[in-house]
Amino acid sequence: MAQKSRQVEVRMVAEYLKETYPQYPFINKQPLGKVPEELMTALGYKRAVGMTRPFRPEVDAVVIMPGALILVEAKVWNIVNGLAKLPLYKSLVPFTPELKEYQKLPIVMELVVGWTNPNLEIMARDAGVTVRVFCPSWLGEVVESQHRYWTREYRVEREEKLRMRELFGVE
Amino acid sequence: MVLENYVILQAGIPARVHFTDHVIERRTTTDPGTGRPTSRNVLVFEVDKLNGKDVFAKYSIMAEKHAGQFSPYLEDKSYRGYDFIITKQGEGYLTSWSVTVIPKT
Repeated sequence: MAQKSRQVEVRMVAEYLKETYPQYPFINKQPLGKVPEELMTALGYKRAVGMTRPFRPEVDAVVIMPGALILVEAKVWNIVNGLAKLPLYKSLVPFTPELKEYQKLPIVMELVVGWTNPNLEIMARDAGVTVRVFCPSWLGEVVESQHRYWTREYRVEREEKLRMRELFGVE
Repeated sequence: MVLENYVILQAGIPARVHFTDHVIERRTTTDPGTGRPTSRNVLVFEVDKLNGKDVFAKYSIMAEKHAGQFSPYLEDKSYRGYDFIITKQGEGYLTSWSVTVIPKT
């Protein structure tokens, strides 16, 4: 079964961007929001940006198109979290020094998911987010195992596995 | 032509690179946590341009989350059609890499 530690979302967003926007530049893992002016004055732009990096939220990718800036967040697990983050990320774009030259462009928000459902679509419409389903075959396995996780069969199988581990003293 | 064996990134300083080829090598390294030898796959790119200068160098990636940013470009070696600006941030387990992908025109 696929595990979170396999960096599934990193691969997913990289493949999605290559397939969907091959002709446009994009930035992976772009920090968003303000860098304090005082810090920039004291340390210089580069050092201030570097120092504040761990404290700034990070969007999975920003695609720079001639007519729009696209914020992309990809989610396999916790897809509603991804949806909820995008409007908040959008609010930070005008304050992001790295994106200063693109601030006149309209911002489009895209949530990339392995599967969707009607409630997600309703929430996304309300939040002004476009949902893109991207599910190459390797990701299908991950999505399927995620859906199976909540089934009775899988629960029984899991409990049996845990019982055997305990019986044999396996960590 | 600048002769540099390996591209070493400094935290917070972006490097613009162009890759011409890659291999995945199996290497034995010392685990910083346990101090024991461990065997890992390493993605190694051949670099011919670094910040606009001609070089003959390698860029070596051990972290799966960083290698994953290049995974769609490996099979068909389509990274040859792009420049990448890589910025490393943080240290140890908290290291992250921001990668800007720029199609070559």
